[in-house]
Amino acid sequence: MFGWAALDCYFAPVRIWMKGIVFNLLEEVVIRNYGDDTWDELLTRTGLDGAYTSLGSYPDEHVGELVGAASGMLGLTAGEVLRWFGQEAMPLLAARYPVFFSSQTSTRPFLLSVNGIIHPEVRKIYPGADVPTFEFRDGLDGRLMMAYRSPRRLCALAQGFAEGAAAHYGERLEFEHVECMLKGDERCLCAISFTGDGRA
Amino acid sequence: VGTLGQDPGEELIKLKRRLERERRARLESETIAEHGLRELYEKKRQLELLGEIAVAANESTSVDELLRFALGRVCQATDWPLGHAYVARDAGAKKRLVPSGIWYGSDGAGMEAFRLKTEATGFDPEVGLPGRVLSTGAPAVIPDVTKDGNFPRAEAARQSGIRSAFAFPVLTGTEVAAVLEFYSERLAVPDEFVLRLMAQIGTQLGRVVERKRLEDQLIHDASHDPLTKLPNRTLFLDRLGHAMAVNRRHPEVAFAVLFIDLDRFKIVNDNLGHRAGDELIVQVARRLLALLRPYDMVVRSPAVERPGYELLARLAGDEFTILLEDVRELSVAVRVAQRVLDALGSPFSIDGHEVHISGSIGIALSATGYTAPDEMVRDADLAMYRAKALGKARYEVYDGKMYSMAAGRLQVESDLHRALENEEFVLHYQPIVELSTGETVGFEALVRWQKPGSGLVYPDRFIRIAEDTGMILPLGVWVLREACRTMRGWHEEFARERPLTISVNLSARQFAQPDLAQQVRQIIEETGIDPGTVKLEITESVTMGNAQQTVSVLSELRELGVRFSIDDFGTGFSSLSYLHRFPFEMLKIDRSFVLRMGQDGDSGAIIRTIVNLARDLGMQVVAEGAETEAHVAQLKKLHCDFAQGYFFSRPVEAEAVRGLLAGERREVGLGRD
Repeated sequence: MFGWAALDCYFAPVRIWMKGIVFNLLEEVVIRNYGDDTWDELLTRTGLDGAYTSLGSYPDEHVGELVGAASGMLGLTAGEVLRWFGQEAMPLLAARYPVFFSSQTSTRPFLLSVNGIIHPEVRKIYPGADVPTFEFRDGLDGRLMMAYRSPRRLCALAQGFAEGAAAHYGERLEFEHVECMLKGDERCLCAISFTGDGRA
Repeated sequence: VGTLGQDPGEELIKLKRRLERERRARLESETIAEHGLRELYEKKRQLELLGEIAVAANESTSVDELLRFALGRVCQATDWPLGHAYVARDAGAKKRLVPSGIWYGSDGAGMEAFRLKTEATGFDPEVGLPGRVLSTGAPAVIPDVTKDGNFPRAEAARQSGIRSAFAFPVLTGTEVAAVLEFYSERLAVPDEFVLRLMAQIGTQLGRVVERKRLEDQLIHDASHDPLTKLPNRTLFLDRLGHAMAVNRRHPEVAFAVLFIDLDRFKIVNDNLGHRAGDELIVQVARRLLALLRPYDMVVRSPAVERPGYELLARLAGDEFTILLEDVRELSVAVRVAQRVLDALGSPFSIDGHEVHISGSIGIALSATGYTAPDEMVRDADLAMYRAKALGKARYEVYDGKMYSMAAGRLQVESDLHRALENEEFVLHYQPIVELSTGETVGFEALVRWQKPGSGLVYPDRFIRIAEDTGMILPLGVWVLREACRTMRGWHEEFARERPLTISVNLSARQFAQPDLAQQVRQIIEETGIDPGTVKLEITESVTMGNAQQTVSVLSELRELGVRFSIDDFGTGFSSLSYLHRFPFEMLKIDRSFVLRMGQDGDSGAIIRTIVNLARDLGMQVVAEGAETEAHVAQLKKLHCDFAQGYFFSRPVEAEAVRGLLAGERREVGLGRD
């Protein structure tokens, strides 16, 4: 079980703002899997009012509080909650922003398009959105190496998003945290390998 | 919020529906807002782009630099990774686009194939993407280059993974000056707004291209002579400075400067008019240019960083210079000089007139060790003066002595100016004697310069300089006025049956003045002299050139009543044809014939011929240089009418003439008694 102290390691001490779209996605994912009452319960437990619009920005800690409450209710670690959230959010994103998915044919180029295409587009819609930049390179063993640095330390969410994308393209992927900020490394370095025959 | 009498379950369903409606409305409004925000963002960025281009356009120092900047900014702003500029060149009547080699993103992975193909491909109107833009003057889009029927670089594009393309023109007015083309490995089509923006950018860039063109034109104009289109002094000195710099690094690479001045250009200009003078300059420039074809004029050396070449420039007026680079030996410069002389030697045809000129050339060599271009030009100029002084139509190579000679000449020039102001000139008079009677019939006025501290200076020392500087004009007026005033005094004092005549020399430059007749009339009126006693002596050279003008000036003067003699007959280029066309009354045989009379028989024959010719044309003959009794006797035998020379009297001061005339009167008076 995570207490508030445990959650602190996920989020930076300086106040950062999370875009409302993340809260909308979380709400949708929770309701879809566990029903309206569970979302109500999470709001009750955290004492948050839950009125989020995709256009707004909200304190980053709200995510942590909701994830913390969810891990308590669902009996999962915070990391597992984030990873599950990422996986489940992907189909919703694909429905909302189909062009990002249709312009790629498999998971790997899709991931590679995050820095160059998806995040720039996000910034267009939400000026000032604090999106992370991933460093990609090809690993010696043929795996895709993805480095991530963020005071939010949401590498589990990144893993969930990647897995969700693989599911969208009918692929599977192995995701290894070679280095992890949660383990005290100065960055997260993830090694990703893909299996599958492309578009499902 | 229930309605009375309704089932709570039903009410819950209704509430849920209401909630769902609200939720959908929220999502929809969020989507609409997101679209709006995105559009706003794009427009803002595009306006920023336009602003940046405008700033760069104002600040750019070269068109290339601006095109490079624009390519980069458009690529960044539109997220199209590759951009290239084609520039328009005149190809006959139409335009053709050639690759500029100005790129953005060409070092990207796999772009090599497309870059190489592009840099080897030019486009005519209608052909390919750039050609389409060239013919329409509007932006064009190719959604997929691999499926387009009019994209000659399709194979290279495929190799480089290129899919989509768009392009827009850089317009100066309605003319396409360049075409900027952009490529993406994605399938993408820029929207209407972006294309409109690109068109605006193209117009902005076009303004700069136009501005640069004007600037280049100005720079060209500032460094070229508008008449001949040749480089002017500024550019010549610049190129000469460059040659000096090369020479400092490679002292074995010698160079030379030829300074060419046309002989008799002023006479042509004065007689035929400035338009004809200009035409002559243009023709000379053309001949010299044809002469300077690079292949056989210069010994080339593969060791130098640039091949040697010849640069022809027009420095001013009738002055041309040639820079010969990489001159191994003096003989090369001399050979070029000789060719220039030959080229100027054959006559020019100006407005139907056959005009003969020649050139005087000064040569300065880099071996002298110059540090400043204008020093070298100055020395070549001095050598040219030397060539003129030695008889024109020749070349001289500069040596150190010329500088002191030129300095002396400068001194004379400034002294001459002062002399005119200080009235340091004086006239001497030489009697002209009728051979049959031995009677003095008139005098020739001859100018002398009483230079303070130097005694009497004779005309051979200063007339040429006065001619060159134009000082001959005020000096000539002074001479004529002084001579007329003096003779008018003698007419009153020593009245005779046949009034004494006064002969005054008129130079070619004086003769070319359009208001000469007015000047002469004014002097006649001022002094009150009988114009019939005034004889203007002009040399043969005055009559060459514009015969029409010569005739009209002479007749104007003739109407005043003055008379003319032709001076130094037989020494110039004697075209007998002019003699009968002009109202000359007297012909002066040059002293050289008279002096040689005793020594060679030809001279006697020449004098006889001239006398006969004059007689046939109704002219009288004066012989100059009668120094001995034998001369006089022989001239009499040859039926020469008049003579002047030391035998009778050297030129003397006015006071001495008075004495002479007074004595003559006494003799005559005694005889009468």
